[in-house]
Amino acid sequence: MNASAWHMLLEGAWTTVWISAVSIAIGVVAGLVIALIRLARIPIVDQLLVLYTSVARATPLVTLALFIFLSAPDLGLDLNRSVAGILALTLNTTAFNAEIWRSAFRNFSREQSEAAMATGMTPWVTFRRIMLPQMVITSLPGLVNEMSFLIKGSPAIAVIGIVDLTRVTNRISAVTYEPLPPILVAGVLYMAIIGCLVWLQRLAERRANRLAM
Amino acid sequence: MSEANTSETAAVSIHHLSKSFDDVEVLRDVELEVKTGEVVTIIGSSGSGKSTLLRCINWLEKPDRGSIHIAGQRIGVHEDGRPMPVRELAKVRAQTGMVFQGFNLWPHLNVLHNVTEAPIHVQGKSKREAEELATALLEKVGMSQKHDSYPNTLSGGQKQRVAIARALAMQPEVMLFDEPTSALDPELVGEVLAVIKDLSAEGYTMVMVTHEMAFARAVSDQVVFLEKGLIIERADPETFFTTPKTDRVRKFLENHDTPSSA
Repeated sequence: MNASAWHMLLEGAWTTVWISAVSIAIGVVAGLVIALIRLARIPIVDQLLVLYTSVARATPLVTLALFIFLSAPDLGLDLNRSVAGILALTLNTTAFNAEIWRSAFRNFSREQSEAAMATGMTPWVTFRRIMLPQMVITSLPGLVNEMSFLIKGSPAIAVIGIVDLTRVTNRISAVTYEPLPPILVAGVLYMAIIGCLVWLQRLAERRANRLAM
Repeated sequence: MSEANTSETAAVSIHHLSKSFDDVEVLRDVELEVKTGEVVTIIGSSGSGKSTLLRCINWLEKPDRGSIHIAGQRIGVHEDGRPMPVRELAKVRAQTGMVFQGFNLWPHLNVLHNVTEAPIHVQGKSKREAEELATALLEKVGMSQKHDSYPNTLSGGQKQRVAIARALAMQPEVMLFDEPTSALDPELVGEVLAVIKDLSAEGYTMVMVTHEMAFARAVSDQVVFLEKGLIIERADPETFFTTPKTDRVRKFLENHDTPSSA
């Protein structure tokens, strides 16, 4: 592989990282918001959210990406590839994250929030200062797990023409006729990215154990 | 002093309080008045409604009927029957401090921050001000050496002493103790009771549910006996423990093996 192939690989890796990172950031927060709304059990809204989480979790990422990209013009939306890709990944990961947050809510001990309310905290302060920090600690392993699934599923967005870390290996081998070296390097880069997450997850688990939560 | 006057100055005044869980009446028309500086102990067998009564005082449990005033302020509902908005309810609740049977310290915060959390985020105290207050309170409960420890590294007795400091930090009108020593190993009960005893000597107003009869006798100004949601006896501790009026209380005290003098 020559310098330009290396350059293309790193660019592909960057595309994978930034598109995944944006999707993860939106997906973690949106999942929390959905879990919060579902706590309120608002009729119709609740059923719609159940429908969304079921459909989004059951749809393959490739199908979802294609559907969003191809249907956008019909809906009068002018989506560029990156936005469509982020949308597909976000819709998918949000549904999984919403379930992770929801189980954290369900398992949160009532005694903990009672102790907070008893000191005069409003429900909002109780949520922000007592519930959320504990829920983050207990949910982090599940959330990080979902993050690595998302990164490993991200090559699906190549189907709408985004040149990510997997797609770029095709482009390189089309020129060099040597498919193996670029795909090997791509594999190592994926492992490095996921490795960072696993390291983060281990830190989180150690912290959770230390606090006996 | 006139009737109206006493209820104005009372730390807690409870009138016609009733509460049912499904079909079971756990509190029936309870009347209770706790004067400022007074220690009231609620005694009764399990299921008599004593914890529910205590939890109604800070509205963790919502009564069906009746009224509760904390230092003259109605809690939970307005006088005209309108439900109280959560912010307002939280303000009245802040006038009470509660100590739970299971401690309920916040595991993600260290000892110091367990105590400073509410003063900072409820009262809006500065971090420095809250930490000064917390330092003094942790010293009072004998936990000065443990500022940086996390709750899971503490013994039950230590946890409960931190929980007491946490409740005191809001400088409440009344402290509510819900069986504060029931979850403790026997050898740790003493250190927690000693702290509560100090507080009573300092003039704190307290309402306490407990099974520690000798302790109740030593610190209380008023003992209340609850049976099936009814207050069937109330008296000063000497009268209550030496010459109970009802057979029910006499039997209860026999079973609890109370020492003849405190």
